[in-house]
Amino acid sequence: MTDPVTSAERAPSLRVNAIRLPVIVLAVISGSCLLAPLLPMLPAPIDGNVLAANQPWCAPGHPLGTDGNGNDVLSRLLHGGRSSLGIAVTVNLLGLTLGGLLGAIAARAGGMIDAVLMRAIDVLIALPSLVLAVAIAAALGPGHGTTITALTTFSVPAFARVARVATLRLEACPFITAAVLSGTNGMRLLLCHVAPNLLPHLGTFALLGMGVVILIEGALGFLGLGVPPPAPSWGNLIAHGQETLAARPALVLLPSTLLFVTVLCCNVLGEALRVRWSTG
Amino acid sequence: MANAVTSPPAVAAPQPVSVAAPTPPATGMPTARSGRTSRRGTRPVWRLVGGRILAALGVLFGVSLLAFVVLDLLPGSAAQQLAGADATAEQVARLTQALRLERPAHERYIEWFVGVLRGDLGVSLASGQSVRVILAERLPVTIELVALSFALALGTAVPVALLAARESGGLFDRLSAVICLAGLATARYVLAILLVLLFAVELRLLPAIGYIPLGTGIAGNLRTLALPVATLALPLFALYARFLRADLLEQLRGEEYIVTAIAKGLGPWRVLLRHALPNSLLGLSTLVGLHVGTLFGGTLVVERIFALPGLGQLLLQAVTLRDTVVVQASVLVLAAATVLGNLAVDLLYTLLDPRLRHD
Repeated sequence: MTDPVTSAERAPSLRVNAIRLPVIVLAVISGSCLLAPLLPMLPAPIDGNVLAANQPWCAPGHPLGTDGNGNDVLSRLLHGGRSSLGIAVTVNLLGLTLGGLLGAIAARAGGMIDAVLMRAIDVLIALPSLVLAVAIAAALGPGHGTTITALTTFSVPAFARVARVATLRLEACPFITAAVLSGTNGMRLLLCHVAPNLLPHLGTFALLGMGVVILIEGALGFLGLGVPPPAPSWGNLIAHGQETLAARPALVLLPSTLLFVTVLCCNVLGEALRVRWSTG
Repeated sequence: MANAVTSPPAVAAPQPVSVAAPTPPATGMPTARSGRTSRRGTRPVWRLVGGRILAALGVLFGVSLLAFVVLDLLPGSAAQQLAGADATAEQVARLTQALRLERPAHERYIEWFVGVLRGDLGVSLASGQSVRVILAERLPVTIELVALSFALALGTAVPVALLAARESGGLFDRLSAVICLAGLATARYVLAILLVLLFAVELRLLPAIGYIPLGTGIAGNLRTLALPVATLALPLFALYARFLRADLLEQLRGEEYIVTAIAKGLGPWRVLLRHALPNSLLGLSTLVGLHVGTLFGGTLVVERIFALPGLGQLLLQAVTLRDTVVVQASVLVLAAATVLGNLAVDLLYTLLDPRLRHD
């Protein structure tokens, strides 16, 4: 009854360049964040000179000025993006691999294994993601590793569910039956026949998940439980900028805009790819 | 993952407990589920309902166990946090004794669990207050916040989706599509900050932080909740409007009952409102059920920014203080909200769609 293809294809006005444009924007953002440490004239994101604090736009050596601690704003934005994007990519790759395997195994095995795995996943999904992340992050203490652990804990079950449903669908395909009948063993069937067909589903889900993870990572940073200051991340830049909101709104608006554009591009791209791949 | 549900349920949406899930294809290897249903034929409704409720209770038990294990296995304890950073080992030991934390973990969990079964949620390690009293104070704030947000999101999303679907591809449709995409990509904390900047700092219309209880005056109460509710509602509005629009169009273009209605000579609005909408609302209710928990999670951020004395703030404070008893209780309440949301949707589906009863 519900046909995912037609409904999404009809999304108005955004069909044009829905793939090329976000790819270019994402490439520019992630490229400059990735290359930030290599830029020779870019100052370090931390240990700024307090005497050079609060400089305006276009100050010499600081194209976007400096923050309250004398750190270069542009440098902090790019380095912040490095950690935010890095965390999002890691979390989604972990989720895709672990969750994908769990889901596929559950669907292939069926019976008790399926039931037990799915109940465990129900438990993890019953916890609001941010609550779970907060509890884990608070307990482990703030840091990169903690944030990744906390976010992976809820991305794995989400991927597992998608993978399970997709695997159950594959089971009906003749090539799986053919593989079973020709005596392919379970592991080989899973890795060589099921996994390649799951990847498009999981890949697009990961793109949509990127947006979610970036937002939640930001929320953790915002609550002071993400990447610990002075190291920058988009979330803690926004939280820190909020203290001087009325005087210098740019300190909030710049990281917010980058965050917004990145998430928007991930969503649009994920949606566009989903439509394209499901049309086959 | 909230955004996952933007995609139509057939591919990526995390399904609720599974009534709404598409039945696996009949060919290929028999799965546990298809085996079970075919054996029994018709399942009485009460059996299904009972099964759902049992599963929900099981999930809640798992959640409480998980919360306990996470907090217990990790370094640091309530005694250390309460005694402060420069407390001597002796002081910490005395506090541990006083809080009865020296007993093995399973004993404490069992004691807590038996208490919960009797309706006793325990006593806060940090303040010594009864958790039930604390929750009774905090929960109404969060519930009001969440309820108003849902009301606002649905109240705006349904008319917007109807207008957009009425003339798909038109100006209004395009405009709302852009707004929805933007709403989905906006972080709640950024939205909150922008709203404060606009309405509290620039226009000075609404208070930036604080909370006036409902009992003190409804106008003041609504004024303090306006910005937090708007913050929570916008992403939801975007999601619902998008989903409902797509679903309405699906009905309008593909379903035979719509063709019948049009052939009978009914006007376009009547077809949309009386025929397509009720069916699409059923799909939307799944999303709403899934979001009960997400929204309670979102209150963590919103309550912090707007200084609202709700459950989210309570949980954040309790987590920092390692006040396991309070964390346990709040997590349980939040999880219960999620599970109840899903349960309600499952049951609603069973009641409204007779096909599911005779699967």
